[in-house]
Amino acid sequence: MSLAFALQESAEAAVAAAGRIADSPHPGDNVFVRLHRWIGPPEFVPDWIVVLGGIGMGVGVIVGIVSLIALFTIWLERKVAGHIQCRYGPMYAGGWHGWAQTIADGVKLFQKEDMVPVGADRVLFLMAPALVLGSVFGSLVAMPLSYDWYFARMDLGVFMILALGSTTTIGVVMSGWASNSKWSLYGAMREAAQVIAYEIPLGLSLLAPLFALGTFSLLDASVAQSGWLGMKWAIFTNPFLIPAFIIYAISALAETKRAPFDLPEAESELVAGFLTEYSGIRWSFFFMEEYAAMFLMSVVGAFFWFGGFESPFTAILRGMGAEGTIFFSAVCFLTLVLKGFFGVFLMIWLRWTLPRVRIDQVMSMGYKYLTPLALVCVLGAAVWEAILHLIFG
Amino acid sequence: MVSTNEYIKNVWDTLRSTAIGLKITGKYMMQKPITVQYPDERMPIPDRYRGIHYLEQEKCINCLACARACPIDCIEMEAIRHGKELEWVAFTLDYQKCMFCELCVYPCPKDCIHMGTEFALVTYDRSELNHDLLSFKGMDRAAKIRMREAEEKKKAKEAAKAAKAAAEAADDKGDKKGDDKEGGDGAKA
Repeated sequence: MSLAFALQESAEAAVAAAGRIADSPHPGDNVFVRLHRWIGPPEFVPDWIVVLGGIGMGVGVIVGIVSLIALFTIWLERKVAGHIQCRYGPMYAGGWHGWAQTIADGVKLFQKEDMVPVGADRVLFLMAPALVLGSVFGSLVAMPLSYDWYFARMDLGVFMILALGSTTTIGVVMSGWASNSKWSLYGAMREAAQVIAYEIPLGLSLLAPLFALGTFSLLDASVAQSGWLGMKWAIFTNPFLIPAFIIYAISALAETKRAPFDLPEAESELVAGFLTEYSGIRWSFFFMEEYAAMFLMSVVGAFFWFGGFESPFTAILRGMGAEGTIFFSAVCFLTLVLKGFFGVFLMIWLRWTLPRVRIDQVMSMGYKYLTPLALVCVLGAAVWEAILHLIFG
Repeated sequence: MVSTNEYIKNVWDTLRSTAIGLKITGKYMMQKPITVQYPDERMPIPDRYRGIHYLEQEKCINCLACARACPIDCIEMEAIRHGKELEWVAFTLDYQKCMFCELCVYPCPKDCIHMGTEFALVTYDRSELNHDLLSFKGMDRAAKIRMREAEEKKKAKEAAKAAKAAAEAADDKGDKKGDDKEGGDGAKA
């Protein structure tokens, strides 16, 4: 028991800076404790090995998740891009519609030379991709996979995700500065300007569903939307959440540097922006970060607007008394993954639809349009909730 | 400073144009791709396409008309003549030189060289571009049979001729003999 307790504490201490561990209203502990119980290491194994092993397994799981997301999303992006342009996209690698194309590309990238430009700041240059990827790894810790599959139970999960998500910028600016290249520096400066401009509407638009749901925790947000046969999604309960979601979606696109806001990369203007001097596996780190961040942003949107784990399927299963079983958890997980990848699909669709906007348009959109509109949405959502509260009380 | 109306109009225009764009790309996304999986399937090629040549070797009479017509001398042919039949040694077309002008096709008296529809001229080595258009070297089976028949016919003819000549010679002798002893011949008949 002490071991399990030590495990839980060590695993959660790493992320507890942003959140407080609450008394769980749901059955089950975090994944480390469950793994510990499942494996049941013998008594003679010292505690620190168990703890380190638990942390290692957790990191392994997150790395696996990020890789799988990146693998699938890159394949999806290439297929969607192909079909929008009336062609097939990858068709051969792996047999079925080129599903293994990304794996083949990954193998190729691993074999490539890891180059550092002559005038580059070597330490910063090599550190930047790790920092960028680390930020998204950290954010994923706050993402619960199912009602009882989570790494850490955080009351302030959204803050954790927003805070760690914006540290990507540090890595990008670092890479741009360290590359000793004009293009990289331009890209990094654009990234900084863009992310500062869009953090505000992103945070403000997230406030609106927080009013409606009354929680900062992703798990509790999902619980709060479990009524109406699993369709009491926040977006259906408050009219101001619809424009808030549009603002959130636009800001999320800008935050993840996706087209039409891919100014930091802007291959037709800046060669490849902050990626110009990177090669091989370090270059692919930036891509993994981009795709994982896309998925994370979609998942946050799914949690706060579109019901999180809740859907009619989960509601029916809960009615049948399946809550707490592995099957129920798996259905919740699949629901979330489907919602997340639908969001990713929308982002890809937008990328292949809209042309890139100019930097002044990006700035004016962020500061003149999205920020005031997000404020209006927040106020409207708050007033609406207050009125509902007065009436139904 | 933009007016309120313009502000609202900008927001509306952005949303509307994005929706229209999504509709258009969505339509294309649902449509069947117009490209084909090239090495496995190919787009239809027009009949008069000037691709790699093909030769109807049985019809060819080694007249060299195509080789002479070629403006860059990329056709080389050689055959040994056995009477009317041909024993093929070589018929090569060097695609490093060929410019697919189709001038070799028109002068052919037997209409046996054609432009095909195959266009992929990919090789690992330049020497492979010197194509051999022969489907068989040496003599065609049918030609061999024809030649043998012709030779047999000739032999038979010659034999017949020889026999005839011998008979005639014999007749001549017989006549002479008959002249000598008429009764003997008549008694034999």
